[in-house]
Amino acid sequence: MPLLEVQHVSKVFGGLRANDDVSFVLEANEVLGLIGPNGAGKTTLFNCIAGYFPVTSGRIIFDGRDITELRDYQVARLGIARTFQIFQASGDLSVVENVMVGAFMHSSSRSRARLIAEECLEFLGISDSAGHMLSELPVARQKRVALATALASHPRLLLLDEVAAGLNPSEIEGMVDTLRRIHQERGISLLVTEHVLEMVMALADRVIVLESGRKIADGNPEQVVKDPEVIRAYLGEHFAPQAGQAGPGGEEGRHA
Amino acid sequence: MEAIRNAFDFSDFPRLDLTIAGLGILFLLIFPALPHSSFAMATMIQFLMFSLYGMGWNTIGGYAGQVDLGKAKYVGIGAYTTAVLMIRWDIPFWFSMPLGMVFAILWSFVIGYPLFRLKGHYFAIATIATSLVVKDIFEVWDFVGGARGLELPLKGHFPDFLYLQFREDYYYYYIILGFFVLGVLYINAFRHSRLGYQLRAIKDNEDVARSLGIDVHWSKIKAYAVATAFVAMVGSFHACYNFAIEPEDTMSLDLSILIAMMAMLGGAGSLWGPIIGAAILVPMKSYLGSWLGGQAGLAGLDLVIYGAIIMLIAAVQPRGVWGIVEAVRARKRGSHAAA
Repeated sequence: MPLLEVQHVSKVFGGLRANDDVSFVLEANEVLGLIGPNGAGKTTLFNCIAGYFPVTSGRIIFDGRDITELRDYQVARLGIARTFQIFQASGDLSVVENVMVGAFMHSSSRSRARLIAEECLEFLGISDSAGHMLSELPVARQKRVALATALASHPRLLLLDEVAAGLNPSEIEGMVDTLRRIHQERGISLLVTEHVLEMVMALADRVIVLESGRKIADGNPEQVVKDPEVIRAYLGEHFAPQAGQAGPGGEEGRHA
Repeated sequence: MEAIRNAFDFSDFPRLDLTIAGLGILFLLIFPALPHSSFAMATMIQFLMFSLYGMGWNTIGGYAGQVDLGKAKYVGIGAYTTAVLMIRWDIPFWFSMPLGMVFAILWSFVIGYPLFRLKGHYFAIATIATSLVVKDIFEVWDFVGGARGLELPLKGHFPDFLYLQFREDYYYYYIILGFFVLGVLYINAFRHSRLGYQLRAIKDNEDVARSLGIDVHWSKIKAYAVATAFVAMVGSFHACYNFAIEPEDTMSLDLSILIAMMAMLGGAGSLWGPIIGAAILVPMKSYLGSWLGGQAGLAGLDLVIYGAIIMLIAAVQPRGVWGIVEAVRARKRGSHAAA
């Protein structure tokens, strides 16, 4: 049984069809990449899955259970954690306290929450930041804190929205390693949207491509980047190879 | 069990704070034995009452960051419950006080459910409006004495611990001091609790909080109920201490704003903030008030001063006096680490 099933999901904002009849499945223990040019509807799809706002039509099934109508906090309690594109670092919670809030999802005990939080910080290699305020940390660290907070809630599926945005190449490499460890050592399935295609290519078992709210490709990463439809979506008509001809798409496609 | 451990866990404060707090408690314990005027005693009782109001406000206004300017109606509900139950059915304080808390909490659920659909300024304005409506109802409601209010009957013998009727003020003082100590311990447990952490996460960012499985709306309602219980408890005490209550002194907008200001001046969202705020504002209010009251043409100047304080907090340090202390400490740590 797949872990997550998205069935014919559409989301309409006024006159804009942000998601148009999108369907896909995510198998248990899979890393699925979700790519597409700006405005393709990736974040909207994320928000629909996470229950952040209701879908216009379609169904979303998580672990055999229909979660279409559930609110975001209810979806989170079932085991879908998410990170935000913009992680606001305000307020008066220290790093370890932030992570504890994630751990409090399943435990009402402060000492237990603290243990879980410290373990998650350790796992992500940021124990030395535990006592700091979020705003004192560099962006790469803040993203790790967000990951630790999500991990502390013991999710089964992690939705990662642009975790590599704002990171330099070596930090991206570190992030790929970390995500791989989260997947392999914790057995957590990942759904990753990313502008940095290298990252998705390195991580994902399978990739789906959105364009203007519609799914235009679904397959393993190597196939998908050669798909003329995908190249056209990213680079325009000019670069799209004719059928049967090996075009220049592969390499350029990575840096869209 | 862990809640009790948390209540006594002050380990996140430096030793200096705990020494000062210890000396403060010692002073509060022996204060009635020191030479003092009856005016000073009354001021001290006011200080303890307002500290408790502020601590209650701090759960919703400080930790959860929802500026509530309508706490006074719950003072009124507590005070009126105690007064009415005693007058009509001769029920002692120790039974009417918990009942008053229950009524206030029930009302807080009714009002909190729609209220917390609002955010920011809209929420603050709505709390004022709902509070004024309750006051207006009490002013025309004959059963509770209308605008003239109620007077508590004297039981005839002193001291009466059941109905809280004493000739000497120090009885009242020690009773409210007892509530004060319990209040500090409760808030200390509260800020270490799951709800305490979740409220601070809500204040930071509601979207992130919801993504961590927190039912934001319900958490705010719970915090609002805690705040309400504190305020209603002190309201019941207020009725016994004053022997007479009226809508104007238990439910006015002035009282609501004063409660919020105590906590904000001292430091919203910190354990000591409301106490520091009350320690500054209550003596200022009573001494300034009594002095200015005697000076023709200066009455009302105290309100000008409150206004100035609000502007100062907003402009200089939104986290109040305690925020300044923490900022200075953070800077010291920073320069220490750099050295």
